[in-house]
Amino acid sequence: MTIVEQRVADVTILRLKGRLELDEGDVMLRDHVNRLVAEGRVQLLIDMKDVTRMDSAGIGMLAGKFMTVKRRGGAMHLLNLTARTGRLMHITKLETIFEIFHDEDEALRSFG
Amino acid sequence: MAVTAPATGRRILLVDDDRGLRHVLSTLLTDVGHTLVSAADGPEALAQLEQGGFDIVLLDLGLPGINGLEVLAHARALPNPPLVIVMTADDTSATLLEAVRRQAYRYLRKPFAPNEVVSIIAGAMATAPHAALSIEVVSARPEWLEVIAPCSLEMADRIQSFVMHLEADLPEAIRESVAQAFRELLTNAIEWGGKLDTTKTVRISCVRARRMLLYRISDPGKGFDIDRLKHAAISNPDGDPLKHFAEREEKGIRPGGFGLAMTRSLVDELIYNEARNEVILIKYLD
Repeated sequence: MTIVEQRVADVTILRLKGRLELDEGDVMLRDHVNRLVAEGRVQLLIDMKDVTRMDSAGIGMLAGKFMTVKRRGGAMHLLNLTARTGRLMHITKLETIFEIFHDEDEALRSFG
Repeated sequence: MAVTAPATGRRILLVDDDRGLRHVLSTLLTDVGHTLVSAADGPEALAQLEQGGFDIVLLDLGLPGINGLEVLAHARALPNPPLVIVMTADDTSATLLEAVRRQAYRYLRKPFAPNEVVSIIAGAMATAPHAALSIEVVSARPEWLEVIAPCSLEMADRIQSFVMHLEADLPEAIRESVAQAFRELLTNAIEWGGKLDTTKTVRISCVRARRMLLYRISDPGKGFDIDRLKHAAISNPDGDPLKHFAEREEKGIRPGGFGLAMTRSLVDELIYNEARNEVILIKYLD
């Protein structure tokens, strides 16, 4: 997996590309978010448009980092879920936890 | 800022009688730092293999002179065998199963996106030496594939790839559900049952009946007690999908625990044996 980072004011957008799975992207996401949190950047928008595959470890890492950021007083929202990743968020009921957007401007405004 | 995995150059033998494909793949793989040697037919491939030193062979099966499956067997019998990635337009299950039996590392059906090769090579080399582990084929009939594989996560990718090629005729929605469920159960068996110990094995059976798919996975662990899975999402009350995270944090387990909940939703039946170190998943086709 690759992660491209973009900063828009206080919000950091992470654009994920490839597989978010056990031993394949999950650790990279964890380390990247941890580094941002250590810098005090806790308003995160995760762009999932190019996530080709995701497993329970990938979902678990998303949820885990959601908790990390929340405890630091921040927020982590999701952008552009595909049919496949959206279905998994529904099955795991995590769509009730995350704020999910399909419009980037709207997602950025949601951070206030 | 982009973050990518570092690429390490490998020595690759590219065997294909299609000059255009050889040119495209050679250019692409050289650009990302690999060293390429090409062969246009079976005898030339064998001659190159005799000289040794290859990490990977990209191998077409429909070769002039000597069939690609024979080249595969020859390559894997070498003292330091390279990983062999089979590339073929032959989509019959018999060919795939023979490639599995002869220890192909991966199977790519033509046409494919050239970048897919780059990705597979990167994955293979990142997991070396586990990538060289062998899969023991117990049964290689299209309607009954049964293999025994060492407990490494990289095996999950390989086996899932082979199995999903076998089910290529199924509707996409069914393939996707089964692939996801199969992968969850297989990684569970390898990670929790086998503790990622490559001296231990998982046994996998994939049975294709007229009206259903049945997959059975046996792991070498002691099983588990479903009433003691407070670290899994299936134990959560309605309205609190992250309640199990507290239990996982207390136990020092990485974030996760959604695998069983996901799998239950993706297949029609999920049946465990008494110890729960063996599981059967069933997907009905009508």
